[in-house]
Amino acid sequence: MSDKADPQTMADFFKPRLNARFKTWLKICANCALCADTCHFYLANDRKPEMIPAYKVRFINEILKGKVTIDDDYLKKMYETVYYECNMCRRCALYCPFGIDIGLMVGLQRAMLHNVADIQPAGLKSAIESYKQFGNQMSLTQEDWVDTIEWTLEEMEDYYPTLDIPIDKENVDLLYTVNAREPKFYPQDIQEAAIIFNAVGESWTVPSVDGWDDTNLAMFCGDLGTSKMLVEKTFKQAEKLKAKRVAITE
Amino acid sequence: MELYHDYLASSRIKLKEKVKVPTTLQDPCNVIRSGGLAEKNQKLAEMLSEDFRPMEYQGNYNYCCGGGGGAIPMGPEMRPYRVKCGKVKADQIRATGAKLVFVPCHNCIDAIRDLNKVYDLGIKAVHFKEVIAHNMIIPDHMLPKNDQDQDKEG
Repeated sequence: MSDKADPQTMADFFKPRLNARFKTWLKICANCALCADTCHFYLANDRKPEMIPAYKVRFINEILKGKVTIDDDYLKKMYETVYYECNMCRRCALYCPFGIDIGLMVGLQRAMLHNVADIQPAGLKSAIESYKQFGNQMSLTQEDWVDTIEWTLEEMEDYYPTLDIPIDKENVDLLYTVNAREPKFYPQDIQEAAIIFNAVGESWTVPSVDGWDDTNLAMFCGDLGTSKMLVEKTFKQAEKLKAKRVAITE
Repeated sequence: MELYHDYLASSRIKLKEKVKVPTTLQDPCNVIRSGGLAEKNQKLAEMLSEDFRPMEYQGNYNYCCGGGGGAIPMGPEMRPYRVKCGKVKADQIRATGAKLVFVPCHNCIDAIRDLNKVYDLGIKAVHFKEVIAHNMIIPDHMLPKNDQDQDKEG
């Protein structure tokens, strides 16, 4: 357990982030269980009461009230609840009579685990490291990315000899960004988008550095610093290239 | 997806043919429920299909595929939980009888392709752009000069 993970530090993390909306939600939930049937985890796990969405945000109140012992077991339970039992899909919020958004509060609990206790899934942690070092989740260098675009075009040459993926073109209508999994695993996605944009005569471009990966996995564990950095990279490119709009893949 | 919808709706893209097999559609949580594109998502699927079959709760009230909130990049750690809760999505897809599922999200498509294997759904999960790029009329100027009469879609 991290040294910082004492109950007071955790409560102090929650307090300034609990705005009027969150405070109201925490107080007003009547435990009516109308959210139960809205949750795919509840339905697929034999309707276990532990899977009811409202139960998955209990840690906030428990920690604020200071009535629990926060040890490794407690943090493990919290981790499993907010990661293994919720996709933050926000479906339950649509059915709650008070509009309580469990997904957002699960997100807040994930943020506390990440920022205070340094607990997060290994998959997200490595993505964050990659974002910080390379600006994308797949650890691709600028060279890898530009090379992928070039061989992607070469591969299509026989079928579409004039196909073009403009790189760093200025004054375009559209700055196109992709999921970094595309250059790594699904280059056909880039080809298909290019075919469509060429066919309609779209004015578009992709950035050669920074901001071309439109995924933001840092967001899922509440690493808002990295999350913000990623969004800023894309919008800085849009500004630099004077693009009117930013489009993300799908 | 919004862009592709607008291309088709305004006839900037015309189709050679629509998808003939029955289709249905996933509503990715962040694009639809949080992003507000439910209507265009379904319209686009309808424009591309001869036999579009909405799943139960199609649109803003649709269920998550199990891959949301970082579940896919969490990898093997999350897989058992994701596959288990994904049964709800698998049942929804099976009930439509669709053979092709439009999935405008990389996380959802990985999750649904996995569900297809685990629950033996017999479907193909595709991005919109795959179907559009294959079924659209390609302008002549994009085709090789000497054999414009040949089928270029391969």
